[in-house]
Amino acid sequence: MTDDKDVLRDVWFGRIPTCFTLYQDEITEREAEPYYGKDSSVSFNVVSSLPSMMLYTLEWNRILLLLPRVSYLTLVTDKVKKHFQKVMRQEDISEIWFEYEGTPLKWHYPIGLLFDLLASSSALPWNITVHFKSFPEKDLLHCPSKDAIEAHFMSCMKEADALKHKSQVINEMQKKDHKQLWMGLQNDRFDQFWAINRKLMEYPAEENGFRYIPFRIYQTTTERPFIQKLFRPVAADGQLHTLGDLLKEVCPSAIDPEDGEKKNQVMIHGIEPMLETPLQWLSEHLSYPDNFLHISIIPQPTD
Amino acid sequence: MEEDEFIGEKTFQRYCAEFIKHSQQIGDSWEWRPSKEAFELPLDDCEVIETAAASEVIKYEYHVLYSCSYQVPVLYFRASFLDGRPLTLKDIWEGVHECYKMRLLQGPWDTITQQEHPILGQPFFVLHPCKTNEFMTPVLKNSQKINKNVNYITSWLSIVGPVVGLNLPLSYAKATSQDERNVP
Repeated sequence: MTDDKDVLRDVWFGRIPTCFTLYQDEITEREAEPYYGKDSSVSFNVVSSLPSMMLYTLEWNRILLLLPRVSYLTLVTDKVKKHFQKVMRQEDISEIWFEYEGTPLKWHYPIGLLFDLLASSSALPWNITVHFKSFPEKDLLHCPSKDAIEAHFMSCMKEADALKHKSQVINEMQKKDHKQLWMGLQNDRFDQFWAINRKLMEYPAEENGFRYIPFRIYQTTTERPFIQKLFRPVAADGQLHTLGDLLKEVCPSAIDPEDGEKKNQVMIHGIEPMLETPLQWLSEHLSYPDNFLHISIIPQPTD
Repeated sequence: MEEDEFIGEKTFQRYCAEFIKHSQQIGDSWEWRPSKEAFELPLDDCEVIETAAASEVIKYEYHVLYSCSYQVPVLYFRASFLDGRPLTLKDIWEGVHECYKMRLLQGPWDTITQQEHPILGQPFFVLHPCKTNEFMTPVLKNSQKINKNVNYITSWLSIVGPVVGLNLPLSYAKATSQDERNVP
């Protein structure tokens, strides 16, 4: 039987094989020079047996990377930026941004959420196009520096704790603890991160859970970017609320009729948890590092 | 600990309704936009600022939203030059009035940042809400002491607005006093 702690590790170390291709209109320099990683004999199709190889360069305008589900695009693509900037003229380079099938990718959403919501029904690897020009001001936040990512991440954590503990736990922490959370995420250090984060997963002995559950529900079919509401993990009678209870209350269209065909997938970290799962358990174990449950509702793939 | 400094969503709506009423009376352009589960007041405002190079007209749009996480109102805004070019975060930080500059410089990333508008999904600048209760509590406590009715939204907006270029006409405050008898 899987230990609950194993779930935390599985969530943290989840990876998505991603192929970054430079947008063809932005290629302004250099002849095509095939540029291969160490094992140029390894076929591109053997992606699954490359666990230790983090980076594999295919051609000068394409790079393959294993992206951490729990991190953010602009935090983990320094290599991509450096590599492509070598083939562009200095004056053509402005802020990097990413796009999937015409949709600009919001760097401030965790990578796993973007994948689940937009690309989970397509074959791997995830094909992302890289741009350095024509930044879509109306769609994307700017990411001027790592400080912007840290500020966004900490802001999400603070909001999550406002919901869970009226901000008491996070406000009692010292600045160095906040830094440790950020550094843990930035450097992919599970133990360093959880040494502090475990305090944010505690609740008073007399309660059965957090005050409210930090969650956001995403659907590509709606105008509004996400649904977020106040929702308690425990009912008045002491019963633990489930994932199904949450959906029924805040997103009833996501629940398929009992006798009907399954129309939707309710996905977190690439899996579909059972609707009977207690929300409190999900919040403690399947939250992203920002302490939010980012839930995708996607159409059931037809295959 | 008293919960006075937090306002529930219904209370937020009530204060907004009073605020809008006065806005309509004086021809100020605040609008109420009930979207499915949230409320906002967008305002189109034009402001002329002097820059080092020349006079530039900047168009501001302000939205007041309710944060259920912090149970306080939050000010979202965007700003662009008349040709449509948006201002950058750096422009916004630099534009903050001198008397608020010190506070901003203590922690710019904790004060004003670019964020996604939770209803429109577009980039806006936001004045961070986590410290709202710190300065609203004394305002509310004092108004209770002198037995004066206070519209939370008016008080709050008159405190945070000026940091980001939004100045409310004084008549909003007077309107609240006049409504004293009618507010339950």
